[in-house]
Amino acid sequence: MYRQGDVLILPVPEDEVPAAVKESPPAPRDGRSRIVLALGEATGHAHAIVAPGELFRGRSPMEPDHLHLPSGGRLVHEEHAPITLPSGWYRVIRQREYVPGAVRPVAD
Amino acid sequence: MMVEDWRAVAFATGAAERERAEAGVRAAYEAAGLRGPQRVVWAPSPAAGAIAAVLLGGDGQDVQALRDAGLGDAVAEVASLVADVDAGRSVRDEVRTRPWEAVRAAAHAELGPQEWARVWARTTGSSWDAVNGLVTRIRQGIGEMAGAQGEERGAQAERLLRGATLDAVLGQHDAPWLWLFEELGRLGELAGPAEVARAAGWWWPYENAVIICERPSELHRDEPGRLHRGDGPALAFPDGFALHAWRGMPIPPGFIDTLGTLTAADIRAEDNAELRRVMLEYYGYDRYLNEIGAKPVHRDETGVLWRIDLPDDEPVVMVEVVNSTPEPDGTYRTYHLRVPPHTRTAREGVAWTFGLTEDEYRPQKET
Repeated sequence: MYRQGDVLILPVPEDEVPAAVKESPPAPRDGRSRIVLALGEATGHAHAIVAPGELFRGRSPMEPDHLHLPSGGRLVHEEHAPITLPSGWYRVIRQREYVPGAVRPVAD
Repeated sequence: MMVEDWRAVAFATGAAERERAEAGVRAAYEAAGLRGPQRVVWAPSPAAGAIAAVLLGGDGQDVQALRDAGLGDAVAEVASLVADVDAGRSVRDEVRTRPWEAVRAAAHAELGPQEWARVWARTTGSSWDAVNGLVTRIRQGIGEMAGAQGEERGAQAERLLRGATLDAVLGQHDAPWLWLFEELGRLGELAGPAEVARAAGWWWPYENAVIICERPSELHRDEPGRLHRGDGPALAFPDGFALHAWRGMPIPPGFIDTLGTLTAADIRAEDNAELRRVMLEYYGYDRYLNEIGAKPVHRDETGVLWRIDLPDDEPVVMVEVVNSTPEPDGTYRTYHLRVPPHTRTAREGVAWTFGLTEDEYRPQKET
């Protein structure tokens, strides 16, 4: 389990990744060919990975995304120290905040 | 083929592309086998559009009801726009409802329920809440122009205006569905309404005339897509029709102006729990904690848990978290996240912010 700011990355065994996730189209890479896990709306800073692999977005902001890194990768962000991730499948969870009657993701 | 960003269409602001919108309207009429509208009336907001729809489709009593509800000035302004317009009957059914339903039914039949649900989730479903929420708020705001009077006459005017908003074709706010139809290669059958959506706001088609609305001049949303702004209207149209909101919650227009000069005493004195929450967020939990001398409830290696008890409201419970990566000046930035009121420990709170239990939350590396 790895945490970079408001993003938590949990290793998951491949057989626990729903089939529907693997069949869905992966999220496109950004203009710099990075896998962007989360983009800070206010700052434009991003939690991003440059490595072979694919990100599968959840259907809503509150649903976790899935990340596949067949040969590992390095997670970088403008304001946080980088984290080296071993190869495998991950669940990517955005931090959220409690709001009476609702829940909202955190923007950093 | 270039895929349209239908989310961007739904939330587009700025002046309508009038020629493009009018061409779209003509295409929609043509596809329905109708002669295009002779008159095009541009309304500066959906509120003005709804009033115009009441003026064109209602009788003298309806117009009087709007005036009695205190909307005399707005009615006079819109009346000048539609002064010599003989609109004829509404052709919404032919122009929008029937062709739309035909495309939807054909697509559904072709895909079958399972695949339909899948495509729907990927397109319409992924943008529906945000767009539909916005449409609902606009309808409410239009109804409240009259309903705020709080009398029987106000209720009658509110009913008329709300009714008019339900008769509108939604223009840019039809985007979630247009996205789905494009995904299925069936957008061509709705080329007219799709073109209006790309270029303008709501519209009301009649036999001889069409009312088309401008897009918002201002639209501000928070990350989950809710209307949100702390220093002005979150949604505004060129004629001044506007909605104020904080993280989706409607707030009175004047309330915004008080936020800049808040004190901790003002926050404590506010009776309305929802407004008090807005005040607390705007003021900053950390500043408030500091000023009222709040004490931490629990502390562990993940952070500090704070609690503020509020009269007649659930307590505000927060975790104070320290960023693991130092700032350029060597300090560590702290921030406060609100967590459910039953939270007992800092670890439980931080774990909750990631949807995990206290035991599950064990990061091996944090930056």
